Amino acid sequence: MILGVIERSLRQPNRVIPVEALLGNCDGSRMPEVIATRLTPAIAQRLVEVCPTAAFRIEQHDKRPRLSLSYGECIGCGRCFEPSEGAVVAAKSFYWCGHAKDRLVRVWALDSRTELVPLPPEPRVGRGQIHSLLGRALNIRQLDAGSCNGCEAEISALTNPYYDLERFGIHFVASPKHADMLLVTGPVTRNMADAVKTTYEAVPSPKLVVAVGACGCSGGIFAGSHAVVGAVDAIIPVDAYIPGCPPTPAMLVTGILQVLRYRTTK
Amino acid sequence: MNANTPAPIPTVEGGHQGAMFTLPQAKDGCVSRLVTIFGSLAPSREKRVHYVFDVGAERYREMMFPVEGSVRSIALKVPAASWYERELHDQYGVEISGHPDLRPLVFHGNWPDGLSPMVDAVEGVPWSNREYRFLEVQGEGIAEVAVGPVHAGIIEPGHFRFSVVGDTVLHLELRHFYTHKGTEKLFEGSIVNAGTMIAESVSGDNCFAHAVAFCHAVENACRADLPPRASAIRLIGLEFERLVCHVSDVGGLCTDVGFSVGAASATRIKESLLQASSKCCGTRYWRGIAVPGGLRFDLDSKKVTELGHVVAGTAREFSDLAHMILGTPSIQNRFETAGILPRDAAGDLAIVGLVARASGIDLDVRRDHPYGHYDRVQFEVPVTHYGDVMARARIRIQEAAISARLILETANALPVGSVLLPLEPPGEFQGSAAVESPRGELYYWLEGRDGRLTRCHIKSPSFQNWPAMPVAVADNIIADFPLINKSFNLSYSGCDR
Repeated sequence: MILGVIERSLRQPNRVIPVEALLGNCDGSRMPEVIATRLTPAIAQRLVEVCPTAAFRIEQHDKRPRLSLSYGECIGCGRCFEPSEGAVVAAKSFYWCGHAKDRLVRVWALDSRTELVPLPPEPRVGRGQIHSLLGRALNIRQLDAGSCNGCEAEISALTNPYYDLERFGIHFVASPKHADMLLVTGPVTRNMADAVKTTYEAVPSPKLVVAVGACGCSGGIFAGSHAVVGAVDAIIPVDAYIPGCPPTPAMLVTGILQVLRYRTTK
Repeated sequence: MNANTPAPIPTVEGGHQGAMFTLPQAKDGCVSRLVTIFGSLAPSREKRVHYVFDVGAERYREMMFPVEGSVRSIALKVPAASWYERELHDQYGVEISGHPDLRPLVFHGNWPDGLSPMVDAVEGVPWSNREYRFLEVQGEGIAEVAVGPVHAGIIEPGHFRFSVVGDTVLHLELRHFYTHKGTEKLFEGSIVNAGTMIAESVSGDNCFAHAVAFCHAVENACRADLPPRASAIRLIGLEFERLVCHVSDVGGLCTDVGFSVGAASATRIKESLLQASSKCCGTRYWRGIAVPGGLRFDLDSKKVTELGHVVAGTAREFSDLAHMILGTPSIQNRFETAGILPRDAAGDLAIVGLVARASGIDLDVRRDHPYGHYDRVQFEVPVTHYGDVMARARIRIQEAAISARLILETANALPVGSVLLPLEPPGEFQGSAAVESPRGELYYWLEGRDGRLTRCHIKSPSFQNWPAMPVAVADNIIADFPLINKSFNLSYSGCDR
């Protein structure tokens, strides 16, 4: 019996996706990318009207109109693609994972059709660099502050044989007391607010807090509900954000490695 | 309840001010199964209470009473009504007379006493600090073990209070609703189509079933027929979701007994399915695809066929894996006789889905109340009567194979034509629909006017099935709890909403 089990696992090929293929990969997330040259004020207006979570906004700056897109609010529903006449498409790659909140917002000048905020650098983490980043292993404690369990499903996928987070020295731990990083999903509900604070306090300093998913970043579709306090940063300090609804495992890997890179080179 | 269960017909005093109503009965005299109880407000803001019964697996029967004064509890005769009545009490402030336990269910100590969010204004709700009294088991040598809300692992939050003697669980009390997000309230005022997105966020791993149930309810309200291609693709999505859930849960069962090879193999199979889905429709969990009237966009037939190929391959692998798992003596030892849910208890609590089918209750919305494409396909509904972890594992494995076959058959004979029939909801509309989600019967009831929703109630299978957990866990050792819990695999968010 047991020999059959061993034989079975030995027969399996290696399925680990190389880290280069994960970084910036956002297949299956439907995150939007704006083609600035195709933007017009009329299209921008339609984007604002169609977005269910107000991720797109038009602001006037010195009487010049600007379009902003906040990835923290985007639930990747793709409703902005159709009326945009090709100005918004599903992103081929996505690097807005693991950054501070202000860096999740992109801004375009509508009159000159150009992007105003410089793009975040692509995390060009090579294999050698990963070792130097993670010379000391990272322990993550996942905390559900009220999520719909979509983010949990994708976070659990990180331990499967395709993503194999353990290869980077990253482990999921059972107790916040063993954790370096708190990965918090969901809008913080009223009923979870105390537990979120207690869990945060139980993580020894120095600690990193990463808000995951549209709900964790901004409250997402639940923002404003009477039973929800708000995004994760309404309750505890947050170091970095990973948008998406839910973020795919590749986006989570990109985000976690980005947080570490930022933290170790700051 | 299924047609083979003759049972006495209780007369139940319910409705307002003790008005009598008899539980609806089917032709063969069987008693009906409670589907849900919920409140709503009439346009005059008068409170109403709705009862929905499944009459002998033939039709859903809805009864509505205006609330004048208090509502007489039916929980002592229909135990399945207990949580629904407590929820009605919390959400609508409806007085329930004669209920054995009216402690707050949905709201915790932080919520002010007497504030009913579905009726009262809910801006700037103050924080209060009410006490909650757990049921106390008394006697010599009894210890209490409190677990949660934050659990050790990547799991949703909920609180379990065990009363144990040594290792043996005497009583388990659940305290959930930590992930309560006021979802039903969010539907109020929402544009009909935007409601789909809220439905998708009720329970992330069953998001497509929720979206389809919501869409069906709208379509029923509009008396609209779906384009055949849309309903066929929806069937593929629904069965795909079931397949993914069952593969994942069998893997989870292996994790909980420390059988790593089985667990890792199942996560691998699940991931290959999700990647195939991402290639086929641009999303791993079929989010943002269903919309009232059909689908938001058509899927390329060639890509659907490719998805079918992956499903066929993984189904073979999974059946192979399942054979190995179930043949492993240490697994048999842990799975068999653990967490038995007796048929009587399952019937009393109106349990749905595979948990019911593993306890000998033959019910499946797909067969009993066909919707969409399901009246055009043939499938069997596996039922067994053991009611233990092994029974639930076996049902999952059999259902996964059936789902894979249904996906293949439908993908190979995909109807052509459009996938969206734009809907024009009438000025005032009301509709309901049931869908067999991977966890069981999901029932949406909605009402609206002028293109916007005024009320949407979600009966989730998890809300229905959680009260069965304490029954299944009693008399087991506490170390088996994670395994028994996993074998039910109920959604916390789906229950708490």
